[in-house]
Amino acid sequence: MATTTAAVTLSSDLLSDNMSVNASTTCMKAGTTADGLDQMEYGYVDIATGDQFDLIGATPTAGKASKLYLKNHSTDETYYIRIMIDAQDIGRLYGGDWMFIPADFHDGNADVEITAIGGTNKICYALFHEGITLVAS
Amino acid sequence: MATTATINISSNIAPGFAGISESMTLTQAGTLTDIDSTTGFQQRKLSATTPKDLVTMASELVEPKDASVEVPGDGSAKTNAAPKIFIRNIGYQGVIDKSVGVTIGINSEPIGKLFGGDWMMMPLTGIDADDVTATPATDDTVVLEYVMFYEEA
Repeated sequence: MATTTAAVTLSSDLLSDNMSVNASTTCMKAGTTADGLDQMEYGYVDIATGDQFDLIGATPTAGKASKLYLKNHSTDETYYIRIMIDAQDIGRLYGGDWMFIPADFHDGNADVEITAIGGTNKICYALFHEGITLVAS
Repeated sequence: MATTATINISSNIAPGFAGISESMTLTQAGTLTDIDSTTGFQQRKLSATTPKDLVTMASELVEPKDASVEVPGDGSAKTNAAPKIFIRNIGYQGVIDKSVGVTIGINSEPIGKLFGGDWMMMPLTGIDADDVTATPATDDTVVLEYVMFYEEA
């Protein structure tokens, strides 16, 4: 079985005692317990300021268990990418920030859209999924 | 020590993929100053398929600063903020069901489904309308753990 494991360690001293969270999950196909995600796309792109781009060109099948990792590798902390899904602002990833989400791609408009602000942002991404609709040549 | 998050991804899907290991320090938007506020670690038990707010931005005791823009569709910043949320589906009473998921959304827009044991970490806007919602796929009881980090407005 294809196996993809995602683990996180989160720690903070904002509370009166240190908070630490460890979590790990094996990324499975939607609704299954024995079949792991078996396809992936891994890339690194420079995004110039100005236009909004779909991060993933070929959209995974809607309603599946896709997982998206995204990191802004810009070294300037004032640079950021604005992230939107279906015209809804999700948030910003400043230089050095990463995110990891289950990406639903629930319809053709639900692509992950990014816009670079401040300067050319350097973005690394990985999409783990169980099937995409390829773009015909 | 600040607030830090480290992700490690391993996979045998693609031959030669060496995995991902990255850390970040949660800072205030556009600066190297540590983020300064948190909701603390919380749990929410869900037993119905009706959407529920995990975070109602306008009801936070400490108002989160917004990441807003001057013009919708335009990236020009009006106010800067870098809030983030961690959410994990921990199942119920020690039983983690990989076949049952909870759709996490922002302002009614579905982001994706957290199946049993899955976790996510993502940025937020902090804007009042952009509440974080949770919609279970079934009536089976499920518990979400979450913590939000943000800047005070």
